[in-house]
Amino acid sequence: MSAPAGKRLTGHGLSVGLPPRWEGRIYRRVVAEAGAQPGRLQAAGWPGELSHPVLHLANFALPPGRGDFGTGAVERMGPDNLFVSLLEFGPDCLGSALYAPAGIPRIRPGQFNPNGMQRRVAGQAGFQHFFTEANRPFCLYVVIGSHRQAVPLAKQVNDVLEQIEVSHAG
Amino acid sequence: MTALLIVETVVLAVLCVLMAGLLRGYAAVLRRLHQLDGGAAATTAPPFRTAAGIPEPATGQRIEGRDEWASSHDVDGVTLAGEIVSVRTVGVEHDTILAFLSSHCEGCTGFWQELGTPGSWTTPPGSRLLVVAKSPEDESPSVLTQLCPDDVDLVMSSQAWADFEVPGSPYVVVADGRTGRVKGEGSGSSFSQVSGLIRQSVDDSRHPAMARKPDSDRRRERDIDRILLTAGIGPQDASLYAPAEAVERTAVELDERA
Repeated sequence: MSAPAGKRLTGHGLSVGLPPRWEGRIYRRVVAEAGAQPGRLQAAGWPGELSHPVLHLANFALPPGRGDFGTGAVERMGPDNLFVSLLEFGPDCLGSALYAPAGIPRIRPGQFNPNGMQRRVAGQAGFQHFFTEANRPFCLYVVIGSHRQAVPLAKQVNDVLEQIEVSHAG
Repeated sequence: MTALLIVETVVLAVLCVLMAGLLRGYAAVLRRLHQLDGGAAATTAPPFRTAAGIPEPATGQRIEGRDEWASSHDVDGVTLAGEIVSVRTVGVEHDTILAFLSSHCEGCTGFWQELGTPGSWTTPPGSRLLVVAKSPEDESPSVLTQLCPDDVDLVMSSQAWADFEVPGSPYVVVADGRTGRVKGEGSGSSFSQVSGLIRQSVDDSRHPAMARKPDSDRRRERDIDRILLTAGIGPQDASLYAPAEAVERTAVELDERA
């Protein structure tokens, strides 16, 4: 698990080549220990939670303290900006109908929907898809800064999705 | 009597010159001895204060051997929460203010205090603050966790320290996202103190004199040059310039109208 030199980001069994202007972060939520006192570094999870890797990609400056689905980041997006979140779920989801689609999807511009956002933001549109890759269940959540620009933005998203590699669960 | 006065004045002037030379030489010897004795040469400006309303002088001293417009670098590292991070500072619209801080440097105290005091200092509009500490093996993540507020973006990356040739902490670098160049750097005791340097760097890049020619203009110029050269018309070609008499006639007409 490391932050590699160059423009490839790797960790927690996920790897992505970053196109110019794109930056990324891979993390697992810090889980609070039972009875732990609130410290400087606030845990985002709840005691006993089993956290899973999350990959965030964006062509704008990702702020710290984002929510898994981009809360705190999507509000800063301009019309040309894109936010991609790839969230892994627990192995208990494997085999369920929701995660039946195989492989990281490619998105058509028409699949972006203003109502597809976790919380609606004027002008933006979202896309959500559940799938299984390398025997690991994932949710892909993408936000585009402008629904009107869905065609060029969808191409950019697909270009970066092309760069994602998922290792098999150990 | 007059001749004596003139001679005395000349002798006095010569003595003054000699004395100034001796004092200068003495100062140079002392400075050299101080360096040989292990004392560092003075590289930072002395503390200063200015009256209200008077801008502070530039505090960022030029560092020997550093290129003022050195290349900027993207920052790869990990956060205190274990995030694996790749932060862009090159080829982006915004500027990045990189604050190289450490958990064990006394000079960093002012920076950490201001980070933990909302409103004590703000980044210029359109810029991003990134605190860069050394990698976990060279730092104390537990102390950094106590020092750095949750809402501050801190990345641990010794590689970034090497990339930016950071001489020591605290050190602040302003990276121009559009040009991919460092456009300001220096040290100080707090963000407030170096804010003048940062503000100047950011303002300079937005000054009309620093404005880039629009791409469309440059494309148009290239097209025109290509067409003219294809037609055999190069620079200084007479056909590009109006005859001298026509220029004079236009000047006379303008004078008459005035």
